[in-house]
Amino acid sequence: MKELIGIDLGSRSVKMAIVRVGDAIEYFIYDTSLFYNRFGSPSSEGFRLDLEKFGVSKDAKIRATGYGRNALNIADAEIIPEIQAHARGAIFQTGLSDFTLIDLGGQDSKIIRIAGREIQDFYMNDRCAASAGRYLENMARILGLTLNELSEFFENPEPLSSTCAVFGESELVAKMAGGVEIAKLAAGVNAQIIKRFAPQLESKPPGRIVLVGGVAFNGAISKLLAAKYGVPVIIPERPQYNGVIGLIAV
Amino acid sequence: MARIGITTTIPQEIILASGSVPVDLNNIFVSSENRESFLARAFRDGYPRTVCPWIAGIYGTILETGSVDLLIAVTQGDCSNTHALAETVEDIGFKVLPFAFPYDKNPELLRAEMEQLAQKLGARWENILKWFEKLRNVRSLCSRIDELTWRENRATGFENHFWLVSSSDFWGDAGAYEKGISRAIADIEARKALREKIRLGYIGVPPIFPDIYDDVEKMGARVVFNETQRQFSLPYPKNDFVSAYSKYTYPKSVFTRIDDIKREIARRNIHGILHYTQSFCFRQIEDLLFRRHLEIPILTIEGESSFEMDERTRVRLEAFIRMLEDRI
Repeated sequence: MKELIGIDLGSRSVKMAIVRVGDAIEYFIYDTSLFYNRFGSPSSEGFRLDLEKFGVSKDAKIRATGYGRNALNIADAEIIPEIQAHARGAIFQTGLSDFTLIDLGGQDSKIIRIAGREIQDFYMNDRCAASAGRYLENMARILGLTLNELSEFFENPEPLSSTCAVFGESELVAKMAGGVEIAKLAAGVNAQIIKRFAPQLESKPPGRIVLVGGVAFNGAISKLLAAKYGVPVIIPERPQYNGVIGLIAV
Repeated sequence: MARIGITTTIPQEIILASGSVPVDLNNIFVSSENRESFLARAFRDGYPRTVCPWIAGIYGTILETGSVDLLIAVTQGDCSNTHALAETVEDIGFKVLPFAFPYDKNPELLRAEMEQLAQKLGARWENILKWFEKLRNVRSLCSRIDELTWRENRATGFENHFWLVSSSDFWGDAGAYEKGISRAIADIEARKALREKIRLGYIGVPPIFPDIYDDVEKMGARVVFNETQRQFSLPYPKNDFVSAYSKYTYPKSVFTRIDDIKREIARRNIHGILHYTQSFCFRQIEDLLFRRHLEIPILTIEGESSFEMDERTRVRLEAFIRMLEDRI
């Protein structure tokens, strides 16, 4: 049997999983720009992936998803839309059939409603990186915190008005100059993530929530979500690889 | 012959009966290879970046091409940005006439508005009615294209869009349009029926990126209903001049549009709706009413000033089509 490779081409990082018969599944994550520089080359038909660099045979079966997948030309790759890949990944990882999936990535946020293991409805942010990982990164930098440190704060959030990954910076600077504690600001930043997609989440009762994507590592956000909606928030074992797991779980 | 610019569909028979040519500035703008420079002109003159590019584009088209001698601005029944568009061109010496579609369905009010425009343009009522009769045949060809799209499944979503959207002014030359559409019908009739799995309805203003139709077909679906474009073709063959235009749904309340859309969803066996809105447009608010009243999956698509569909929209569209496939 051939090897199976899943590639999720995200805006900030590329996630990969390689499945070899008899071996444990191997997971890899690369910075997106690094990935494009190191593991392939541009060709007349688009970007060509160099499979040998992963120690995989040329006839390996490849499935790809993610924002960049249309720009990438991989011979015989099967392309699966992100929404479907994430839904399958979350169903596989949690074993659940009915839940609301929230995927918070580098520049993306998605809400997918799943009932009876089928997608009922989805929402995807449009043209704006607010309420995604990039916002957290920028705000943590202004507050002088690491992403891990930022994720510890969820009590007494300072009300903030901007969810913009750029304009949010000047708001934080003004608040810091006004003497607001870092802990309150950090909790405010975490609460902003939810504020942005709350209208879409609240359009129907969310029920059980499964949280995936890199932002799921921020424990404050799952605590804030659970407190706000009074529902269990489940983070699967590999939240960041959820899309890729959806590709190899088919 | 004077060329009279229009900002959206109006009773073109009045323009024709005055001996002038109607020119839908939306079509001139979007199909021009200089469309970027028309937008640039508007922004240079001080149009805000957050204004709908159709409005800014029409402004730039009027100024940069000199393609029309007079502008008829629809001041009710379309967006209020048109008021400012009319004022900014009037201020530099351009002649502007207003036309208002009554929000009310009362045909008497509409007739009064039509008569007023006819008087200002010097068009006689009997000549207007003659033009309406003359255009009946061309409009019946538009209906034929529509039937070839949804009933016989031979015409593509883009063909449907192209021919119906052009019926707002019939290219300013109804004879040439009639020849063109007749040839297209003959070509399409000779084709085998298309067999896509998913049938979509497109509602809202026509797209700034018409490549959406071909992309939908590459993804295994097809648009079999173009709401507004069909309305431009005045699909009311049994009505007289005034009552046909009072049935025309585009300038009316959203609830009139919802009734029309519901009927067409049922008749055309549509699986899902694409609601196209323009960034910064009041119609983005109406999206919630479509979601509340149409019991069918809806994907809202937002266009701004890019004339080609962006990757993000493509990703969402593909996910929507796959979701519909899983359901049927």
